[in-house]
Amino acid sequence: MNLRRDHAAGGAFIVAGAFVLAVSGDLPFGTLASPGAGMLPRLLATLMMVFGLALVLRAGTSPPLAELNWSDLPHAVRVGVLAVAAVVAFEPLGFAVTTALLLFVLIFWVERSPLLPALGFSIAAPLVVYVLFSVLLRTPLPRGLLGF
Amino acid sequence: MEAIVDNLIVGFSVAFQPGVLLYAFLGCLVGTLVGILPGIGPLAGISILLPATYGLDATKAIVMLAGIYYGSQYGGSTTSILMRIPGEAASVMTCIDGHAMARKGRAGAALAIAAVGSFVAGTFGVVLLTVVAPPLADFALRFGPPEYSALLVLGLVFLAYMSSTSLMRTLLMAAAGLLLGCIGIDVMTGHFRYSFDIKELGDGIGIVPVAVGLFGLGEILSTPAKTVTDKVAAPRLSELMPNREEWRQSAAPIARGSVLGFLVGIVPGSAHIIASFLSYAVEKRVSKTPEEFGKGAVAGVAGPESANNAASTGAFVPMLALGLPTGPVTAVLMAALLIKGIAPGPQLVTEHPQVFWGFIASMYVGNLMLLALNLPLVGLFVSVLRIPYAYLYPLIIVLCIVGVYLVNNSIVDVWIMLIMGVVGYFLRKLEFDPAPLVLGLVIAPTFELSLRQSLVMSNGNWAIFFSGQRPIAAALFAVSGALLALAALSWLSRKDWRRGLPEES
Repeated sequence: MNLRRDHAAGGAFIVAGAFVLAVSGDLPFGTLASPGAGMLPRLLATLMMVFGLALVLRAGTSPPLAELNWSDLPHAVRVGVLAVAAVVAFEPLGFAVTTALLLFVLIFWVERSPLLPALGFSIAAPLVVYVLFSVLLRTPLPRGLLGF
Repeated sequence: MEAIVDNLIVGFSVAFQPGVLLYAFLGCLVGTLVGILPGIGPLAGISILLPATYGLDATKAIVMLAGIYYGSQYGGSTTSILMRIPGEAASVMTCIDGHAMARKGRAGAALAIAAVGSFVAGTFGVVLLTVVAPPLADFALRFGPPEYSALLVLGLVFLAYMSSTSLMRTLLMAAAGLLLGCIGIDVMTGHFRYSFDIKELGDGIGIVPVAVGLFGLGEILSTPAKTVTDKVAAPRLSELMPNREEWRQSAAPIARGSVLGFLVGIVPGSAHIIASFLSYAVEKRVSKTPEEFGKGAVAGVAGPESANNAASTGAFVPMLALGLPTGPVTAVLMAALLIKGIAPGPQLVTEHPQVFWGFIASMYVGNLMLLALNLPLVGLFVSVLRIPYAYLYPLIIVLCIVGVYLVNNSIVDVWIMLIMGVVGYFLRKLEFDPAPLVLGLVIAPTFELSLRQSLVMSNGNWAIFFSGQRPIAAALFAVSGALLALAALSWLSRKDWRRGLPEES
């Protein structure tokens, strides 16, 4: 069978709906006169599976999954992985160090920009954001091990 | 009418306070930038800057965030006309004739007509908002749980009908959003739902991490830097004045676009996008020279630009009067008010008149500010477009992380944002519009509470929603049913009117 876009999309929602139903076991459904905490989620999960199935059944008109343009995926993966690393480091290393590193790696390594402008921007931008949020708006940002 | 004038005077006394003026100006300025920059829609802009309003009172916060919203509609035209790239989705139609005018050396005139049209339509929209919202709020005071359930269902169904993607895709997104909204402690029974022992999930999933992830990070992941061009030339100030013939050709399209845009704006869905498409179609239909469209027709700029601004204002009517968000942007604005302990809806006018009327009055002032900002400073705004995207998007990622973290000082929120960013990337690939998901998330608590209260009130009898004793709820459900039937017919016959609409940015 030629796997098409809406097969994947509908299938994903059917799996998601089934997962919700599977983890809803301990939530009481209640009765119509006294609905429980599990009533609406179960109804919604069921609806999601029905809509997902409708999408799968009509998937023939959608383009083949292999023909979707995935040329941006490598870039998305690089950016995504670096963002995950930044979130992991955000509290332990602090705002300034983490964001400066994230900016530098993205601009210099991922985007292949010249070293000096990348370095200057990576130092200046976190400083501006820090002054804006921490000093002017008085919303504290994580300071981390280095104290800033 | 006298009461409206009195209340407007109160509103202007709030709007002219130096602090409120300053934040209205900041909102308009940031909104214009958000509209100009491709890849940052108004929703991402508002969501990222939401934490910046935490230190402000409710009036300043909502005035600034709304300024970003309607300011972005002004700014979007600049990129469309000069670069043929829509700064945000509602400006797609402006690309066609606006850029064609620019190629003929009339870029300045096109920018001026877009700005004046936006101003006229925005102001017209605020006048109607002033007149329509208070009586609608009065009417909505009669609403109980069954009416609210019916209204929220109608909102979702309208969204499914009007959304820029197909019915089934919109319903799937709305159901997913409602499900996400069920996470956390059940307010009626105290049960923890789907929190998987993560205590931060006890309060539920916040709208900000979801919106920033789907619309901010998701957009960045699907936009490699090399696809964004930065070649642009700004017109000189002396070239900004349209000639007499151009003014004459733009007058009627601006008037039609204003009325059409406001009416479409009240309806849930991607109102400002649909309004600009409808306006373009109407102008082409009524034009004596339809062959000029696509080659630099003045009406092709004036109509759609007016319509998308009027629609942005129209969207505030159900939000302020009924507490019903018509799209993700109004949903985030509602969240901003809720964070301040103010619930938008029928009681807003009576319980918080300073916020309600101050907000409305500030929109009159904001539209004037935008006119003043957008024409003389067009050269300055265009220079922002020269910042390479390779530098811009890493900074936006930093702002996404910081903005989401600061909502609750919670790293869990940032993880949710990252997950939603990845989800947003794949949703785009699979041609889903994430907007209904955000809307579902926002209305989920109110919807569930009113649905369950209705069932308890009626001792489990579903007829409470359709009985003659509840005519408003019955009428709202009847409209929902009719719309669903129409949409299902269209889906089954594969004649979907949404084909050709752009994706929302």
